[in-house]
Amino acid sequence: MKLGKTLKLIICTLLIFNFQHSIFNPTHAQGLLGGHVTGNVQLDGQMSRADSVIGAEEVPERLLLNARADVLYTNGDFSAGLRLEMYQNPLLGFDSQWKGQGVANYFVKYSGERLTVTAGHFYEQFGSGMILRTYEDRYLGIDNALFGASVQYRPVDGVTLKALAGKQRHFWDYGPGLVRGVDAEVSLNSVVKPLSGSKLRATLGAGFVSKYEDDENIPVPGTENRLNLPLNVGAASLRADLGFGGWSLQTEYARKGQDPNAINGYIYRPGNALMLNLGYSTRGFSAGIQAKRIDNMGYKSMRSLSGEMLYINYLPAITKNHTYAFLAMYPYATQVNGEQGVQADVMYKFKKGTLLGGKYGTDLHLNSSLVTALDTTVIGGLGTDGYTAGTFSKGDFLYGDLSLEVAKKLSKTVKLTATYAYQVFNPVVEGHAPDLYHNHIVVADLSWKVSKKHALRFEAEWMGSDSRYDPEHGHDDRRAGDWVMGLVEWNIGTHWFLSLSDQYAYRDGTGNYYNLSCGYTRGATRFQLGYGKQREGLLCIGGVCRQVPASNGLTFSLTTSF
Amino acid sequence: MKKIIFALLTFAATCGLAAQNAKLPENIALKDLDGQSVQSSVIQNNGKPVILSFWATWCKPCNRELDAIKEVYDEWREETGVKLVAVSIDDTRSAARVRPWVNGKDWPYEVFLDQNKDLARALNVGADVPHTFILNGEGEIVWQHKGYQDGGEEELIEKVRELVK
Repeated sequence: MKLGKTLKLIICTLLIFNFQHSIFNPTHAQGLLGGHVTGNVQLDGQMSRADSVIGAEEVPERLLLNARADVLYTNGDFSAGLRLEMYQNPLLGFDSQWKGQGVANYFVKYSGERLTVTAGHFYEQFGSGMILRTYEDRYLGIDNALFGASVQYRPVDGVTLKALAGKQRHFWDYGPGLVRGVDAEVSLNSVVKPLSGSKLRATLGAGFVSKYEDDENIPVPGTENRLNLPLNVGAASLRADLGFGGWSLQTEYARKGQDPNAINGYIYRPGNALMLNLGYSTRGFSAGIQAKRIDNMGYKSMRSLSGEMLYINYLPAITKNHTYAFLAMYPYATQVNGEQGVQADVMYKFKKGTLLGGKYGTDLHLNSSLVTALDTTVIGGLGTDGYTAGTFSKGDFLYGDLSLEVAKKLSKTVKLTATYAYQVFNPVVEGHAPDLYHNHIVVADLSWKVSKKHALRFEAEWMGSDSRYDPEHGHDDRRAGDWVMGLVEWNIGTHWFLSLSDQYAYRDGTGNYYNLSCGYTRGATRFQLGYGKQREGLLCIGGVCRQVPASNGLTFSLTTSF
Repeated sequence: MKKIIFALLTFAATCGLAAQNAKLPENIALKDLDGQSVQSSVIQNNGKPVILSFWATWCKPCNRELDAIKEVYDEWREETGVKLVAVSIDDTRSAARVRPWVNGKDWPYEVFLDQNKDLARALNVGADVPHTFILNGEGEIVWQHKGYQDGGEEELIEKVRELVK
């Protein structure tokens, strides 16, 4: 990686020159070569003790720490960046391979009016990400940035062409596969004269990605043979984004070539995926329906790797991203080997002065989703096409939920949000034995602006579930059972907050999870300190999940941007 | 390594004082609510200040902030000429919901999508939203704030008032 070293050197030199100059000339924001240095820093720390009731294990290190700092230099159309990361040791739930420190990300970039060129690490997405999306999520411990080069060119307004090549970051190394891709997107309204200013809006796009990976020896069990692996695996997609007045329709269809890998059990069946969003909205009302089908679309730059790292594409969950604790307790995780689902979403605002709207208006939000497995027939294992799948017939039930949220301002200072949800969850999506949990959840969330300086927020949640905690008979999921939760949050001015919460499994007694936290924010700096118990479970962001073990102790977090 | 981190923090603190007037980048691709590509240079207000707020549909404090500003937005505009531009960082999972969301909420703001977080990264937004910036009439970043607590909009408009004084 000679190129890498040179790049790092150039970026460091630029940053240091600029930095020194800003010290010696504090009245000028601009550095020696002009331009600006900006950045952000984040520190997350954790101290945890053993607790047998909640299943928190002894942590040998006194303090676990994840730290990072991004420094960005910008000068007109030119920019360069550097990121330092340190995991000494990584927080609970992070893969131990994160342990270490160093320069994790660096790049130089030119972004002109028509042309953008990046060398180094970069994040990119083609369309909805079905065939390519590199991204970073520091809370999940995922960073699959491409290291290489990317070019974006806009020959005329409304046309964007992209080309890229590189290898993906894998902890402190790179994945073995070389990823190359091209993408084109055309906005017909800009390109086709009669359509400019038309009520009809249309954008079309197409992308192609190819991954090259060296051959390896995957033996076929029971024989002396090994698999004849495709060294290049291609994926292509077509997409359209259409709109007419209040209506909108987005769709993308993707196909992937033969890609025997560790996720699909080394089968040769090609993959495909289809996504469809139909929406209508007008002031105060919106309705949308979303449908998605995924068939064998796990696409990684390392064929022998399972788990969440080194994905080239991104297939988020179709379900709503719930934020209340109990609604998010059993999150749905995308099944990249096969799933199909629909989601419907309706928002309505009862206007002020109407019967249901009252003095301040009322907001109604209805959401429902349903996901099933594909209806498949197995025709073989490793080295075969694996299975056949019915196009629209459904397989096993995986997840379903229905939630209704009503938000109402009761007076000038009090606002109430009430939510009811019904959820059916199959633990098979987390790799456990198939079963069905039926959960009813009720949430009341009340905020009260007591005075100009003080605000209080109360949250009460209840969950009734038919899942049982019975470790002797294999039911060892500590989320099981019926729960209650209470939370009080006190905002003092706009800088301080203090919050106290407790979650308690009142029937199965899998723990009492209390938490006390306080925080201080000033400008772009925020510090937060927490003490309490954390339930083991899945932390999911965008359908990608990380198993977080139980913990018991102190956490703190400092973030700042400058 | 600890030394490096320490040096970096010091560096961060010093730079914070030194580099105050970074400009909003001009050539970063965003999408508008109609799905059309636009460049970040569209975020401007004819020489008047802009409040630039990064948000997401799933972010409760973001929604509280934007709902709260909606109540006073007409007064703010009249008094200071300020314009609020809301940039959503929703990814594929919820990006299709942004337009219905904005309409359903009846927000009077200019809204753009930054699905790949290119603009968010260029402005060091980090992982958490809301993150709100104030740009002066020249498009320079003069103030920024993380998070939202009830009443936070008062501090925001105070900063804008200082600019137009």
